Parts: sequence; structure tokens; C-alpha cells
Amino acid sequence: MTIDLENICKSYGDLKVLQDFNLEIEEDHSYVLTGPSGCGKTTLVRILLSLEESDSGKVHFMGDYKYPYLNAGVVFQENRLCEAFTPVQNVVMVNRKNSAKVAREELLRLLPADCLDKPVSQLSGGMKRRVAIVRACCIPSDMLILDEPFTGLDSENRNKVIKYIREKQGRNPLLITAHDTDGLEFCRKIEL
Amino acid sequence: MKRLKKLGIALCWLFLWQIASILIHNKILLAGPIESATALINMAKTPDFATSVVTSVLHIVAGIILGGIIGILLGALSIKFKLLGDFVSPIVTVLKSVPVASFVVLILIWIGSDNLSTVIVTLVVFPIIYLATTGGFSAADSKLLEMAHVYRMPMGAKIRFIYIPALIPSYLGAFSVAVGMGFKSGAAAEVIGQPLLTMGNGLYRSKINLDTAEVFAWTFTIVLASWVTEKLFFLLIYILKRIFIPASKSGESGKEKQ
Repeated sequence: MTIDLENICKSYGDLKVLQDFNLEIEEDHSYVLTGPSGCGKTTLVRILLSLEESDSGKVHFMGDYKYPYLNAGVVFQENRLCEAFTPVQNVVMVNRKNSAKVAREELLRLLPADCLDKPVSQLSGGMKRRVAIVRACCIPSDMLILDEPFTGLDSENRNKVIKYIREKQGRNPLLITAHDTDGLEFCRKIEL
Repeated sequence: MKRLKKLGIALCWLFLWQIASILIHNKILLAGPIESATALINMAKTPDFATSVVTSVLHIVAGIILGGIIGILLGALSIKFKLLGDFVSPIVTVLKSVPVASFVVLILIWIGSDNLSTVIVTLVVFPIIYLATTGGFSAADSKLLEMAHVYRMPMGAKIRFIYIPALIPSYLGAFSVAVGMGFKSGAAAEVIGQPLLTMGNGLYRSKINLDTAEVFAWTFTIVLASWVTEKLFFLLIYILKRIFIPASKSGESGKEKQ
């Protein structure tokens, strides 16, 4: 599968955040979108996910792509977890095929066992981030899109998460937005 | 300590009430708490008392449940189908603003007095629960809904994990108001409609006999029945919360750690 972003323009009032942006996202490739705050990284992710429309330009899903939308595992800029539920429930709720056992095994790779049955509201910011990452990686998808996934993670956990993401990525394309590209040398860097 | 303080305040008011009744010295104008308690005990000994309480409570609770179900269903459908919401909105406004007495008279003409309190309570409870439902759905976190859209979560999962947690706080407040309003309007309907062997009918008979102590005793009975019913509804909502949000038992309300 190839996704072609062609001449994407987006502005909010007088503020132009994206201007004639072009990118071809290919299978088996990883990309890191970087740039200062407000440069349009999240906007681009939202356009890719059809959550926002570009002012002009098009997103083409090339090849024999089976969905009219992008079927992606996503980490949003905010965690967007259901706070009253446990990490296991948060992973299972987005995909009925995920059993609690599988979700638990996946979460245990990034989180200590004692936090898996607590409501997410009782976890630290870094723990919540890791739950959101596991949720994105456990769903069968055609692409991984991670918007600032390392927020709140120390360097040890960051490295663990990068290793986990690479393993779960398989042959799917990976798009990460980040200010700090340490450890992301395997990605093609795209400055915005 | 807090309970002792509350008990002390209640006793103080009872004492002031007793003093006022002694000073007024007219049982028709103001019966004291001792006379009212005696009247309640005497009433409770009669076989009609239990029948009246059970009949009224069953009718009123039936009205609360009916109003609740209609409010939840129409509220949820109004969120899904905006046109239905626009269609129902004037009825909700009318039901909220028209005096209960007007409805009582109309319902009396249309269906008589047998199920009057049930119908009146349904009409009073419906707009409260309808507005709580639409408000709860609107209060659902839009970012979580966006996440659910991106992950193509099925509607059942959205309802369970996003909407129900948003609706429960809304329902806690709404059912508290609905039960209180239900008992007030139900008793008022019974006073006007005079269905036999009901609390409202007992209240009316006490008024006819100018037995103020019995009026107070019936009022206390209605307030107690309302309080018990409210607690039972809270228990039901709490059980539903434990079923749908099992993790909440280990302190979901705790503040987020960052």
C-alpha cells in the first residue's frame, strides 16, 4: 500500500500551517515528521486520518486499498484513554478480536503487572502513554501513526517503546511526529 | 461527630416546633411533634395505612420507571436523530412549565383516578430524565469519540465505554430530583383525584377532619417513602455502575497522577 499526499494546503484563518506539502508513504518504510510547535505536524496527521479536510490537495490511497479511510493504529497527541477503565479494558475495547489475555501479555512488555488492573486515571502520565502505544500497536491495521508518542517517557522507557513499535510495525508504514528524533534514525526525517 | 451535630440541629428544630405548638395552643392551627408522632403511630396500626402506602408507592414508582424509560429512549434517539429532538423539544418545554394541577384535571377527565398518579409522575419525570440523557450524551468526551471513530469502535462499545460513564453522573442528579418531584406530584395528584386507599387520599381526609397532626403524619410518611425510594434508585445506579465500570470500585475518582 502507498499513500500519496499531494499538494496539501491547510490554513486556520490567516495562519498557513501547511503549504503544498507532498509525501509518498510506502510500505516497509518509517517516517518521522519534525519541526517546531505549530508547524502542522498534528494537522497533517488529522488530514491523513480524514479527521480534517485540507483546503486543497489530496490524499490518495494507492493500489488495491480495501477501505475508503485509513485503517491505522493511532497514538493521539493526548492519550485519549477511557480513564475509568483498566489498561487491559482500554486495549480490548477498540478491537473485539483482542482477548484480555493477549492485551495483558502485550501491556506487560511495557508496563509493570501491578498497574494493569487499576483504572487508567490512577496511572502516571508515562504509564498512560505506554497504554496508548500498546492500544495502537495491538489493533490489526495498515499503518501506525504516532503523534508525539514519547511525551512523558524517560530515556529507558523511550528505548523500550521504540523497540516495541519497530517489532509491531511489521511491514506496515510508520509515521511518527516528534521534536526529538533521538533513537529514530531508522526513520526518514521530514522537516515541516 | 458530624452525625451528632446533625442530630442536635434536628432535635433543636423539633424543640422549637413543640414550643411553637404550645404557645399557639391550637391543635388545628399547629399540632406539635409529639402529637404528630402519636398520630403516625395510631395511623400505622390501622390496616388501611399499609395498603395506602404500598398502593401509592407502587403507582409513583411505576410512574418514575415509565418516565425514566421513555426519557432515556427518547433522549438517546433525539441525539441520534436531530429531527426527533426538534420534534420532542416543545413537548418537553410544555411538560416542564405547565402546572401539575392542570395535568391532574385533564388526566382525571380522560382516564379517571385509578392510575392518575402513575400518569402524572410519568409526565413529571420524563422531561427530567430526557434532559439528563441528552445532556449526558452531549457531555461525552469529544476526543474519546474521535478516537472511537478512528478505531471504528462498534456502537455497543461506544455506549459502554464512553457514553455510560458520561451518563451516570447526569443520572445520579436527575433521578434524585425525579424521585422527589415524583412523590410530590404523585401525592398532589392523589389529593386532587381522590383514589381510595392512597397516601394522598389519607392526607385529604385529614384535611377535611381538620386533623393537623395527621396531616403532618401523612407528610412525614410521604417524605420517608420518597427518601427510601431515592436511596433504592441510587443503589440501582451504583450496581449498574459497578457492572459497567468495574474498575471504578478501586477508586476511579482518585485524582490523576502526572
